[in-house]
Parts: sequence; structure tokens; C-alpha cells
Amino acid sequence: MKSLFKRNILKYGLTLGSAALLLSACGGEESASESGAATEGEDGRTTLEFWSFWGSGSRRDAIEDIISDYNESQEEVTVEYVYQPWGDIWTKSLAAIAGGNAPDVIVQDINSVKQRAEANQATNIQEYLDEDDISENFYPQLWDTVLYEDEAYALPFNTDTQVLFYNKTAFEEAGLDPEDPPSTWAELEEAARALDQGSGDNWEQIGFYPRWNLGADIWALNADNGVSWFNEEGDIRINTPEKVEALEWMLEWQDYYGRDTINQYEAEFGSGVSDPFISGLVAMRGQNINYYTNLLENAPDDFEYGVAPLPEKEEGSGHWSWGGGFVLEIPGNTEHPEESYDFMKYLSSTEVQEQFGMNSFDIMANTEANENLQSHPELDEMGHRIYELADANLDVTTITPVPLNAPDFSSLVNAEIDAAFLGEKSAEEALNDAQEAVENLAE
Amino acid sequence: MHANQTSNNNGKNKRKKMNWNKRKRNEALWGLLFVSPFIIGFLAFMFLPMMFSLIGSFTNYNITSQMDFIGLDNFIRMFTTDQLFLKSLYNTIYYVILNVPLTTAGGVFLAVLLNRNIRGITIFRTIFYLPAILSGVAVYVLWMQLLSPTSGLINLVLSFVGIDGPAWLFDPDWTKPALILMRLWSVGGAMLLYLATLQNVPRQLYESAEVDGANRFKKLWHITLPMITPIIFYDVITSTIGAFQIFQAAYVMTENGTGGPANSLLFYNLHMWNKAFVAFDMGYAMAMSLVLFAIVLVLTFINLKLAPKWVHY
Amino acid sequence: MIESSKTKYVQESDSSSSTSKTKYFKSKKKQDRNGKILVYIVLILVSVLLLSPLVWMVSTSLKPMQEIVRFPPTFIPETIVWQNYVDTVQSFPFFKYMGNTLIITIFVVLGNVLSNSFIAYGFAKIEFPGKKVLFALVLATMMVPGFVTMIPQYILFTRINWVGTYLPLIVPSFFGSAFNIFLLRQFYLSINNELIEAAKIDGANHLYIWSHLMIPLTKPALITVGIMSFNGAWNDFLGPLLYITDESMYTLQIGLQSFSNQSTTQWNYLMAGATLVLIPSILLFFFAQKYFIEGMDLTGGTKG
Repeated sequence: MKSLFKRNILKYGLTLGSAALLLSACGGEESASESGAATEGEDGRTTLEFWSFWGSGSRRDAIEDIISDYNESQEEVTVEYVYQPWGDIWTKSLAAIAGGNAPDVIVQDINSVKQRAEANQATNIQEYLDEDDISENFYPQLWDTVLYEDEAYALPFNTDTQVLFYNKTAFEEAGLDPEDPPSTWAELEEAARALDQGSGDNWEQIGFYPRWNLGADIWALNADNGVSWFNEEGDIRINTPEKVEALEWMLEWQDYYGRDTINQYEAEFGSGVSDPFISGLVAMRGQNINYYTNLLENAPDDFEYGVAPLPEKEEGSGHWSWGGGFVLEIPGNTEHPEESYDFMKYLSSTEVQEQFGMNSFDIMANTEANENLQSHPELDEMGHRIYELADANLDVTTITPVPLNAPDFSSLVNAEIDAAFLGEKSAEEALNDAQEAVENLAE
Repeated sequence: MHANQTSNNNGKNKRKKMNWNKRKRNEALWGLLFVSPFIIGFLAFMFLPMMFSLIGSFTNYNITSQMDFIGLDNFIRMFTTDQLFLKSLYNTIYYVILNVPLTTAGGVFLAVLLNRNIRGITIFRTIFYLPAILSGVAVYVLWMQLLSPTSGLINLVLSFVGIDGPAWLFDPDWTKPALILMRLWSVGGAMLLYLATLQNVPRQLYESAEVDGANRFKKLWHITLPMITPIIFYDVITSTIGAFQIFQAAYVMTENGTGGPANSLLFYNLHMWNKAFVAFDMGYAMAMSLVLFAIVLVLTFINLKLAPKWVHY
Repeated sequence: MIESSKTKYVQESDSSSSTSKTKYFKSKKKQDRNGKILVYIVLILVSVLLLSPLVWMVSTSLKPMQEIVRFPPTFIPETIVWQNYVDTVQSFPFFKYMGNTLIITIFVVLGNVLSNSFIAYGFAKIEFPGKKVLFALVLATMMVPGFVTMIPQYILFTRINWVGTYLPLIVPSFFGSAFNIFLLRQFYLSINNELIEAAKIDGANHLYIWSHLMIPLTKPALITVGIMSFNGAWNDFLGPLLYITDESMYTLQIGLQSFSNQSTTQWNYLMAGATLVLIPSILLFFFAQKYFIEGMDLTGGTKG
């Protein structure tokens, strides 16, 4: 009995013990070979860790080329690229900042720079800009997003803007001029009616529906002179007459096609696998200009399409659009902000921006890079057209940074807009209630 | 090891009692030895984080720069200015009340159905368990299509029996039932537990019941169910806790936690996530978690008190 | 002495699983067969429904992107692109990540099965002061939402220099998890105490009873915990995401995410990868099941 007992202790003890040993062995090795923050390498170079979500494909290849060029161009710093999954990268960076082992440079969402600046999650880089002001290199509204209390906390990297994609073949079949896309809401409606095929529950082609791929917020902003739910001064502008009108206009579209039709389409295409535009079921759609890459990769070779600015509410009201993008940021409390800034500056330089844009078809934050890409010898005609349109569109593109006093206001507004689309409230009631709810939150 | 041979000592009560005490102490030491890994693990990995979030719920902690004591402000805000708090609590309780009984019954039903030795049963069991391990986009895409109001399979089946199916994910009244339907589809996880339990039901019980002329239903009601009540009890408690913490499905189905039509899928944890990681109002989220903890604790306590009435060990 | 009580049990279970059909009338048999056919029909119908996402996954994984975006979707791929699997495996260090995931998973399964059955035995079969309070603590740890402890826990692991290693993913599983402790406790509670008392009289201590009586007796339950731990660790995303800092140490679930970014998703690669990741889970469940049939007297025969 006693020996049995001993043997068992020994057996389980050994299993557990060896497991622990093995673990600490591989653990020790790993923690020696790396750590979150920057370190001095053997060659006396400082190692910087750079996080982004470009995990595979052309973006990853492009950024790796760019980084290895940088590492070869100087002898002070070695940049190490680490891929982190899209979206989750920011959860991880938040934990890392709290734990004190954040990366040296990270690609962040453009809309929440102020929020992170306020919470010390981003490092103030104003001193480097005071030495060499490069703010002029970027589109002005992008630059505005990186300022918190008039000091800079990030450098814009790339951006995007919403435009209208339309099927040229469908235009021709409907007797419309494929070179003259609709320019106002009225023309848009007219074109859609010409493109519509079907009725009631049964549609073979839908000309246009405003709320697919674009939120109600974008049309509200389009109607209201580019002013979003919050204006630049931070005032709440939800129930303006223009926005009420925009919501009424969207409700008319829903009534026209019928809620069942809309729901059916959203159920079938909402997951983003099948593409109704490429499949010819939808003839026009408002969409992020990045959608160009999807068309390039996934559309049949004979698929003919055009791009145009979003139609304006009425002539002269402006083709206002909405955009987003990403910035380069130094997380709070890192050891080498100066070296990190130098690398960020390199990434935002015209040459590098051009190289990244050419490989990814991203719209870059650097104005000169986009201008160069409009006539870049390695891009085709459509590529030139995309950069041309993007560059022009950015003059009327609003970026909507998260308001500091109500960062999570959008679920309040969305719920009211949903109520309007469900027929529970009129457009005006819905937006009035939303205005009130957000005012309460912002207090 | 030889302590148990003293029971035939006649009259020597003192010695007997001493031995009994010694045995009891010995037994207690064994008990502590066995549960010690949990105690150590709790102290090492859980105690501090839990204390941190307890303290954090009385502060304006924002993860990176501030953590000032603000008393009960967070709790007061929940019931006064936060318009979505009660909505999210309502959504969650709705989900729990429907979800827990349905998934428990579903798990038992599947396990009884699959607890037989027929040809190919291992393949069927694998297929039935599959949804429990399948997750992510494939499932999401599938359910969007299955629940499609006009062309989806579910409304098609309903139309065969003369029911005009709802718009499911697009109708705020039906989004939660849609999610419960999805949850039921992956009930294979619970099935696994019951299947394992059914292996412990002694055959002899069925055999003697058969001799008494019991039919299939009687055997199920009088033998099978009582024998698996310990695991039903486990399932009810853990699935209640799990249902209160529903997050993933709602997060994926509502485009990154926006809450679905008219916020009908804004569950408690989703709201908490938005507060913690969108608004960086971690102190508030910690306070919310404390409230949820209290609610679940009370429910679990009631469950534990009721258990002796129906759980047979 | 100990051996005898163990063999007694084994003999018992052996004799109960031996089949000897008596006492059954022909009509009963016929009724059974009809019932069997009904069961098959139900099983097959439900299986088709349950398998549909898997079919869709595999079918998508074999299509070119041009076909995936088309509507209405094709059920069987018009062009079968096996190359998708090759591309998937090559677009990130697939087999390296698979090895990493496997290492973590093996330790987690080992830790979970050993520690939880050990701890659960203590809660189920030994009387000691403070047991109720401790068990309430076990239950309480399940009720705290993970989000709010995530950051403090991360900070804790940073302080002890475990971030960047697999330790935060593996070590806690050796100290029990509330769900599994609770589950196994329920299993152990339903095991007859007479068996334990008998072993005790034979001079066995708790460690021996746990390892030589309880573990063999509750094999299906332990296999269940093993399967659930395997799937949990194999498919875990948040843990590895937070704690692994070096790309060469990444796991499969992180690798799979590289096919989605802000504007596009490579559905063909994503689904090919997801299919490959799913295979071990399916195989494990399929083969682990033999423990669910062992000891079952399924033909309905009676013991002599």
C-alpha cells in the first residue's frame, strides 16, 4: 500500500513537474529573445516594434519592402514588423499600454486620436513638428483629426471616401448615358427608376438603394453641407431641417421598394460574401472608394463600371461625402519616441506613401503622393481615374472624429433612425428624440 | 492506515473519540490537499484582478491615465442617465429566460436520441456535435441566409404549416428569438455532457423496469431523467451564467456591437464592452459587472437552495 | 486487498455489458425495427440541416473568388480550385502555427483533465471545514464577466514577465477551471459512496481512490472535459492574441484572421483555412466516442 502511494505521488509529481519545467524552459527562452518594448540589439541598433493589421497579400508585401528599405537606409534603428489581426489589434494595444509593454509605433483608427490623446494612450509629437512642420503634406481635415488641444498626437497614413459606383452596361441597356452618371438626388432617383427591373416582391434589378453600404449618417451629412451629427465645434446637430429631409428621402426609397424587398436583400448580401453589384442585381451603389480593389480582383473581366462623386441633394448643395482612415501613432509611455517619430515621418513621406498606394490602391494621406499616383506609369487608366476622383472628392469629404464628451453616442442615434425605418416614428420625431438623447449623454 | 480497525473497542470511548477526531482532521487535510490547486490558482491569477475590478467600479478608471474615487456615481448613472442600461438588462433577461430551458431540454432530448447502439451512431453524434465547435463567419453567413425573411429555409418550413414567418433579424421583436434559435442549433455541446452521464446509468435499472412492464416513456421519466439530474442541475446553472454573459453571437450579428435593429440585440455584455473599449469608461463597465455579478449570484443561490428538491445523487 | 475491490467493479461492468437476449417477443422486435427506421429518418434530416454550414464552408474553400461573389451562389463549385488550399497554407506559416497551437492545446488538455478531476474529487467526496465557502467561490469565479478582469489580469502577467510566452495560456489550466470543477463534481457525487468506503476499509487513501477508482469510473466524463478543453484551446483567439507578442509564436486562429482586413475578405482562403483547422476537432470527437459506447448494453438484452 505504502509503496503504491509513493509510486503514484512520484508518477503524478513527475508529470506535473516535467510539465512545469518544460513550460518555464520555453517561457524563459522566449522572454529572453523578445519583449514588448524596444530594446538595444547586439549591433548597437535600437529595435522598434511596429504593429499593423496588414497580415497577408499586397499590403503586407508592400510594408515589408518599405521597412527593409528603411532599415538599410540608416544605422541607428531596426524596425520589426508585427502583424496583429484587424480590429483586435486595438484591444491588444490597449492592454499593452496598460501593461507598459506597448509597441513603438502602431497603425490606429483616425477617428479616435483625440480620445487616446486625452487618455494618455498616445504620445504627444508636437515638439518634432515644431522643429520641422510637415502638417502641410496632408489633407487638412485629416490633419485636424490628429490634433488634441492644438497639439499633434499622430501622423495621418491613409484615408478613404465614399463615392458612387455604377454599372455601365446596365446604364446602356436602360438607355442612360454611361458617361453621365447622376449628379443630384433627383437625377439619382430618375436613373434608378430607369434601371429598375421588376416590381412588388420580385426584382431582377434594383436601380439604387441609399442605405446599402452607406449609413443614414452619410446621407444626412451629404444633405447638411458636410456637417455630421456633431459639427466641428462639437455642437450636436442631429435634428437640423436638412437632416430631417435626408431621412425622409431615405424613407421614401424604402417605401418604394418595400421593406420586405430591402430585408431580403440585406439578409442575402449583408454578410458580404455574394456581391449584388458584381452579380448585376444592383446597378448603382454608394460605397467606399476602396471597393475598387474588390472589383479589380473579383469582377469578371468584361464587367464595365464607372465611379462618380456622391450625388448632391440639389444643385449647389455640394457632393459632400464621408471618410475615415488610419494614422501612425506612438503609444503612451514608450522608450524611443524620437526614433519612432523618425520612422513615422518616413512612412508618411511622399515617396513611401506613393509606393504603398501603388501596391494597395489605398488613398494616401499625403496629398502629393495621391497627385503623383494620378499619373503613375505603373497604374492603368482606371487606377488613375480612382486617384483623380479621390483627390477631388477629399475636398468635400468630412471626417467624423469621435466626440470626447459622448464617445458611444451612435447607438442612441441608430436606435432612433431604426425606429423611423420601422415606421414607429416620423423622421422629425426620430431625429428630435435622438438629439435629446445625445444631449443627455453629452452632459 | 490502521485507524479504522479500532471500531470494535468496547467502552473505551475516549480513545475512540480521539481517533475519530484524528480521522476527521486527517480527512480535512486530504480535502484541503485536493482542493489546494484551486486555492493556489485563485490567489495567484484571479484574486488580484477581481479585487481590482471591484475597486475600479467605484472610480472613473479609464485603463491608461485616471483612476479617481467617485463613490457610487457609476451605479447612480446606471439607473438615471444611461438610457441603454435598462434596455440591455431587459434584452439579456429575455434571452436568459427563453434560452436556458430550451437549450437544457434540447440537450437532453438529443442525448437520449443518440444514446443507442445503431449502425453509424458515431457519425451521427459527430454531426450533431459539430455545430458546437463551428463558429465564426461560416455560421454567421449561414444564419443570415437561413433566417432570410422571404427566401430563408426557416420561413419556408413555417409556410408549409401555414405560418407567415417573421422578418427575424430585421424585426426588433424577433431578433432575440432568432439568436435563441441559433443557440439551439449548437446544443450539441450540452448533448455531449448528457451523453457522458447516460453511460453511468446502470443497465440493471432498465432491465428490472422492463420486467415490471414499463414502457419507453416511463423508463425515461422514472429512470433516465432522475439519474441525470446532477448534470441537468449543472447545465441549468452554467447556462444561466453563460446566457447572462452572451456576447460573441450578438457582436458578430450586429456589425461589431452596434446593437442591432432598435438596439434589440444590445445585451448587457455588449453594452459593457462598448463602455469599456469604445468609451474607455472602464470604471463604469466594472460597476456594471458588479451589478451583473450580484444578479447572477442571487439566481444561483436560489438554484442551489432548490436543488435538493429535484436533484438526485 | 485494493486490487480485489477494483476487480470486483470491473467484473461487474463486464458482466453487464455481455449480451444475452431473452424474454423478448417477436412483436416487440418488429416494433423496435419500425422505431429504428423512424430514428434514422429523424437523424438524417437533422444531420442535413446541421451539416449545411460545413458544406458551404468546404464548397466556398474550393471556389475562385469570382465565383464566390456571384449571386445566386453555386452549391457545387463550377471550377474547383484545389490551389486555394496550397495558397492558404503558404500565405502564412501554417504548419508552424499548427505546431504552436498543438503545444498549447496539449498542455491545456492535460492540465484541465488532471487538475479538475483532482479538485472536483476533493469537493465531492471529502468532508472538510470551509468546503461550502470554497465551492461558492468556485461558482463565483464563473460569474465575473471576463472583460473587466482582462486588463488587470494582463497587467498581472506583465508584472511576472509572462507576456510573450505561452505561460498565461497554459499554467492557469493546471489550477482548475470553475466550469470543469463543477461538472466533474456533479459526476463524482453521483458515484456510490459504498465503493469508496469499501476501498477505505481495504486501506486505500484518497489519492489512490481518486487515481484508481474515480478516474477509471468516470472515463466518459473525463473524455468530455478533454474534448471541451481541446476545442476551447484549439479555437481560442483572445488569449493568444493578448499574450503572444512574437509572430513566430502565433496560433492558427490568429493566422486565419490575416485573410480579412478593413476592405476585403479572402473568403476562399479563409474557408480553406477554417476547414483545415476544423479537421482535428472532428477526428478527435469521432474517435474519443468509443468511450461513450464502452460498457453500454445497447441491444436491450437483460443480464443473467
